[in-house]
Amino acid sequence: MTSGPYNYSYIFKYIIIGDMGVGKSCLLHQFTDKKFMADCPHTIGVEFGTRIIEVAGQKIKLQIWDTAGQERFRAVTRSYYRGAAGALMVYDITRRSTYNHLSSWLTDTRNLTNPSTVIFLIGNKSDLDGQRDVTYEEAKQFADENGLMFVEASAKTGQNVEEAFLETAKKIYQSIQDGRLDLNAAESGVQHKPASPGRPLPAPPAARDNCAC
Amino acid sequence: MWFGPNLQRSYKYMMFASKMPSLRIDQSDLKCKNGCDYFGNPQWQGYCSKCHREQMQRQRKAEKASSATLPKPEQKKQEKGLKLTSHSSFSKFEEKRLRQSETLKKANLLKFSVFKKSNTEDHDHSSEKRPPEFKIPALVNEGMKSEFRARFPQLPAQVDRDARVFVHSFIMDVIKCANVMTVDELSERVQRQYQRFMKHMDTSSHFANVDSDTKELLMDFVEKHAMTYLHELPSVVFSPSGTDDERLDRAMSERIQQLSWVGERHLECKLDRSNAECRTLLYKAISELLGMDSAPGPGGKLARVRRACRHVLRLCSAAPASADDLLPALIFTVLKANPPRLVSNINFVTRFCNAQRLMTGEGGYYFTNLCCAVSFIENLTAESLNMDKKEFDCYMAMPASIGGSSWAAALSLCGAAREAGEQRGAARRLLQHAADLQAAAQQLASNALSFEEQIAKKVQDVLAKTPLEIKPRRELPRLGKLQEISTAPLIDLGTSTDREEPQPQPVPTSQPQPAHTVPVEPKELNVTLDPPEDEPKLNILGFEVIDRQSPSKSPQNLDQTWDLKRTNSLELLTPSPLGFTPFDSRSIDELMTPDDFGNDQLPPGLSNINYDIDLSDFSGDNSIAEDAPKSEPKDPFSPDALKKTQTFDPFAPQTSRGYDAAIDSFDEFSFVDQKHKETDPFEVVHRGQDPFSPVEWNVDLGKDQFRSQSPAKQSTSILDDNDSPTTGCLLPSPLQPQSSGRPN
Repeated sequence: MTSGPYNYSYIFKYIIIGDMGVGKSCLLHQFTDKKFMADCPHTIGVEFGTRIIEVAGQKIKLQIWDTAGQERFRAVTRSYYRGAAGALMVYDITRRSTYNHLSSWLTDTRNLTNPSTVIFLIGNKSDLDGQRDVTYEEAKQFADENGLMFVEASAKTGQNVEEAFLETAKKIYQSIQDGRLDLNAAESGVQHKPASPGRPLPAPPAARDNCAC
Repeated sequence: MWFGPNLQRSYKYMMFASKMPSLRIDQSDLKCKNGCDYFGNPQWQGYCSKCHREQMQRQRKAEKASSATLPKPEQKKQEKGLKLTSHSSFSKFEEKRLRQSETLKKANLLKFSVFKKSNTEDHDHSSEKRPPEFKIPALVNEGMKSEFRARFPQLPAQVDRDARVFVHSFIMDVIKCANVMTVDELSERVQRQYQRFMKHMDTSSHFANVDSDTKELLMDFVEKHAMTYLHELPSVVFSPSGTDDERLDRAMSERIQQLSWVGERHLECKLDRSNAECRTLLYKAISELLGMDSAPGPGGKLARVRRACRHVLRLCSAAPASADDLLPALIFTVLKANPPRLVSNINFVTRFCNAQRLMTGEGGYYFTNLCCAVSFIENLTAESLNMDKKEFDCYMAMPASIGGSSWAAALSLCGAAREAGEQRGAARRLLQHAADLQAAAQQLASNALSFEEQIAKKVQDVLAKTPLEIKPRRELPRLGKLQEISTAPLIDLGTSTDREEPQPQPVPTSQPQPAHTVPVEPKELNVTLDPPEDEPKLNILGFEVIDRQSPSKSPQNLDQTWDLKRTNSLELLTPSPLGFTPFDSRSIDELMTPDDFGNDQLPPGLSNINYDIDLSDFSGDNSIAEDAPKSEPKDPFSPDALKKTQTFDPFAPQTSRGYDAAIDSFDEFSFVDQKHKETDPFEVVHRGQDPFSPVEWNVDLGKDQFRSQSPAKQSTSILDDNDSPTTGCLLPSPLQPQSSGRPN
């Protein structure tokens, strides 16, 4: 069943959040199409990206939801968060304001996702090092304080983009293995395709029956 | 606009964050309140699903125990207690009020159900008393069967049966529960049903060979058929009774109408409205959104939303598409579309769509965007549009009709306008055509008029010139001869000319034939008198006919030049009147000549030689002479033709010139006639002007000068030709009259 290239064992839902213009869509595009959008003609449906990756021998389909970053939409974009297994929080290293807003983004994410959701901090536009407005150390410290994974990446060059997505997936997969993530909860952001052989599912069937929340 | 707490699974509650007061939540806070080790859920009042279910069952039992009409006080109390944590006392009060009203509503519905509703409420009773009564129409089953065969031909029949059994039980279950459960409970139940089927697919041996993608399709398939049926039932799953959906629909519709002044400028979305393609996309997106209401089942609605959003995405193609652009554009589109029953539709999908799919997948993503857009519109304030509060209030105070649906109207109009433009172009072309036609018709009419006038004038002229000469002529001497001849030989002559008529009638001679023979003088006298009247009109034909005949008479001419002249002039007259005996008689005389005449009975004054030649010619001429009167009407210059000219004209507008020319030429003829007639009768023949007549060819061949020379000169030359017998043969061609005008 899983032999085909389009077969996968899991579906992870990611969301990408952050202020407007930090390059959320470009990161997504870079990851799903391996292209920087300024270079290529516009493609339809970019903001909803999917890509199949492999983690620990398991094929995982990532579904990445881009979100609107405008401040005025903050109040209404909360439904994006529902059921996200991973959240990529993006800021622009050349614009300090985007970094300053991180705390409010983090608050939303914590409140709106379940505790096992993996949050990954990305400082985008690392190729524009000359215009840097936020130091790596400062951001790293922020990430550590809040228990986030952190990397500086460039959607333009593709540097670290892949890693950010993959690391997030690994972390999620890890929590599945650990049993911290309930696959049967609709809000877990993870769908398991039981047809795959050798299911590494820690979730016991009994639990599923008892608590279908 | 406020929302009752019973809408817990409404789209508003997809963002339940607002209820969470603290930044971090301990693991323990998420556990079930009952203390079992499972996670609780705010939607289940902090219980895990199992405990919540037990709780609800307890409540319901108690509820049933109490009277049906009363609201459920125990439940109220419990729920109040449960929700204390997250709600203020006021909101509790509100909640209670709504709860009560809802219950009352439901009770009322139950009361009237017998009259109002057929299946669902009916079954509500039967679920408790007569369970087997309700039946799902066979249509559902049949529809499933056929579609299953079409979509999953590779799957075993067992799967098909399972799916149908599931759908059946699913529908029955929902209908059974519809009136004893709140919407949220029902929604939960439906979701559990979905999960049950998923589990069934995972565990059942029938599905062992089905891969996961197909299972998803099967899931959709099942959901579609179950929900499509349930969707049709009033107030069961779609804007169910006991909810505010309908009221909210109205409120939302009014709100959107009120906000119709909001443009892309306020939303800061870049739309190139002047671009036709852009407009088309927007229009498509709007129509998809409008179609969401009519789509049955959550899957269909999701598909509509997905298509709409794809169009919207292409709308904001100016920049690389991102959610930053998509959401404003989508909000704009929703504002312009104002889809019917928007809230009901969204709530329906949120509650009864397979939650797994709503959370993932493209449809889910776009649907989430739509929820965001709707919730943005609901909560839209001056700040959210980045505008001055006063200005905003001013806009909002404005009657909806002003800022109104002008955009949507303009949008739909632009399509109509384009069509109208095309049609207008076509109409203009048609008008042009019509105008051209009319102009041409008028031209034709005027041409015809002028032609008629010209003709009339020419005819007048001709009449003025020609008639005089005819009267003086008398053929008395010749007639006398003819009479003598006609007595016996005429009969034979008739046969010789191949005319059947002359034979039987020869003896009576004078009257039928007389027309031809014309033996009697008095008649002739009459004839001669008459011609002047007819002459003018007949002239043209007369000439040509005469032309033919004149050569025939040449033999006689040889005998007596003076007579010949007369005969010629007479013959000019002859062809015109149909019934004129004298002329015809003459022609008959000539007819007689060809065979019998020649040898047997030679009239005294005639030379043998001449007769021989003439006779042969006459035979032809005679036939023509007889035909001539018939052909007259066709000739425009004949009196009959003149009467008909009006009808005749329109079809021959171009020929008018030709006719003019013909007339001119005719004048020349006439002149010639007048001038030379006295000198030589043959002049009339002058066909020198007619290039197509055989005579002229001969003339040309013989003498080229004639062409260039004036008609008068030609006449002389022609006379020369006439002298020779061969030319005489050529002259009488019947085609001449028509062709005469053309060359000029």
